[in-house]
Amino acid sequence: MTNLLERPKLAKPTEAPRRKEQPVARLTLPTLLALTAIVTVAPFAAMVLVAFAPASGRTFPDALNPARMTWDNFASVLSSSDIPRWTVNSLIYSLVSVFFILLFAAMAGYAFAKKRFPGRELMFWAFLATLMVPFQATLIPSYILVSKLDWVDGYWGLIVPTLANSQAVFLMRQFIGQLPDELFEAAEIDGAPEWRIFTTIVLPLVRPALATLGIFVFLWHWNDFLWPLVIGQSGDMLTLTVGLATLQTEAVPINQVMAGATITVLPSLLVFGLLQRYLTDSIAMTGLKA
Amino acid sequence: MTTTLDPPGGTGGVRPAGRLSGRRAGRLSGRSRAGLLFVAPMLVLFIVFRFVPVAGAVLLSLTDYRLSGQWSFIAVENYTRLLSDKMFHESLAVTLTYTVIFVPLTVLLSLGTALLLHQVVWRRGFFRGVFFLPYVTSIVLAAVIWKWIYDAESGLLNGILGVLSLGPVDFLGRAELVLPSIAVTSAWKGFGYSMLILLAGLQSIPRSYLEAAMIDGADSWQRFRYVTLPQLRPVLFFVLVIETIQAFQVFDAMYVMTGGGPVRSSYSLVYMLYDSGFKYFDFGYASAIGLVLFAIVLVVSLVQRRLVGRDD
Repeated sequence: MTNLLERPKLAKPTEAPRRKEQPVARLTLPTLLALTAIVTVAPFAAMVLVAFAPASGRTFPDALNPARMTWDNFASVLSSSDIPRWTVNSLIYSLVSVFFILLFAAMAGYAFAKKRFPGRELMFWAFLATLMVPFQATLIPSYILVSKLDWVDGYWGLIVPTLANSQAVFLMRQFIGQLPDELFEAAEIDGAPEWRIFTTIVLPLVRPALATLGIFVFLWHWNDFLWPLVIGQSGDMLTLTVGLATLQTEAVPINQVMAGATITVLPSLLVFGLLQRYLTDSIAMTGLKA
Repeated sequence: MTTTLDPPGGTGGVRPAGRLSGRRAGRLSGRSRAGLLFVAPMLVLFIVFRFVPVAGAVLLSLTDYRLSGQWSFIAVENYTRLLSDKMFHESLAVTLTYTVIFVPLTVLLSLGTALLLHQVVWRRGFFRGVFFLPYVTSIVLAAVIWKWIYDAESGLLNGILGVLSLGPVDFLGRAELVLPSIAVTSAWKGFGYSMLILLAGLQSIPRSYLEAAMIDGADSWQRFRYVTLPQLRPVLFFVLVIETIQAFQVFDAMYVMTGGGPVRSSYSLVYMLYDSGFKYFDFGYASAIGLVLFAIVLVVSLVQRRLVGRDD
């Protein structure tokens, strides 16, 4: 900082070169930005091109020839693999988890933010502390637990353990904590049942937070790999993400793998396309990490 | 407690003081019962699927628990075995090397794009979306695409190198190239998140600071070095911690792209944990590896937290 202070204010020599470099900078930075964007999108573009390229012949020139584009790879991969079944599994895993995580996290968040009960601080602290434990560190005991419950290779084993989501509880407590107490007290004094206060006052007021959290939970589960890999042992219980990984380890032609990849990414892209602004704003605000 | 006061006309009529206080006590206990009921589903889930597994990991790591369910207490034998296990040393070295490559790469990439987006107003929303796009996909998808990009025979990158009469380079088949190649894939997939955090940090720096530096004659590098960077420091540290912890848990990309190869040169700590558990069914040993991972993550976040605390 000190060397800055020594400089004379509004010095003429520094003014002139700056005016010179600005037109150049005005072009370089957007060019750099556009190039970076192209490199970022290129792998997706390549994926789609290869997915539509004819299976025979060389991938390269053919992939860029629109006249030779074909749906064959999609038809082949859909008939030779279990993609429809995997899609159903992924949808069940993601959507059921979204529903219950939102419900239970909102309930817990409401209790932590607005209710007084014995052990509240300790419980909340313990919930938060689990954020520090990497999921992989408890992978083995979680698996043994699920196998003792006879839940391996089924939806229960896939879904239920993932519902204990501390980020969700934390986020809901933050949002509900911002609501003024008077809202609930008036209803309480009028003798409204607790559950009705929750469903008719709390939930509608935190709808934006629920929407944000819902998008994240959906993406977390849709893209999840290690837990579905460990739990879904028979081909019937694979999710789309795990299925895609198995596709490319088997001797499936690259065009079909890319067709499968294109199918798996569609829901994420749909969520992203519809809610991009929402998603990016909420990360900046809350620091939620998928 | 103002909450126990009746609102004007709320319940109607005047009540004897005794009955009011009786009701107050009853309602308080009702409130705490309601609180417990609301927290109950999540509490049960946490106890069964988070706290029990944490305790279970510690206990399992002290046994030789096998798939059959038979076990005996072997104290710290799993840990002493880890100390002398060459495969464990190698996987630790792979994980550390990967972290050393991945963290600077992804932080520089996200800082670079955040600075670009901050500088260039033109179509900012659009470009922000483009950079964030890979983040919403799975690391498995990224790995599948990039495995083909790196492919020695028909891959995109070697196609480009071929046009320049270079290569072919077997990016994933050479021990010295495999970790950087995987790090690039993960950085591509994930930099959008840190970019958004850093962009928010950049946008929260008061304009007047930069204007003051400009009036003092600071050029753009000096403004970055002496104004932007110090202001961004807490956000940068946050990003650094998040990405480092992420790097230590690397598995998915390696599982899909290389299967840990060539010759275990991309065989990470979590990969060894996975194999110990689900290939050799050595659950006690795998749990010990899991706890080592937990210890590393804990130390990293405590060290970095202390560093931030000291500087601010």
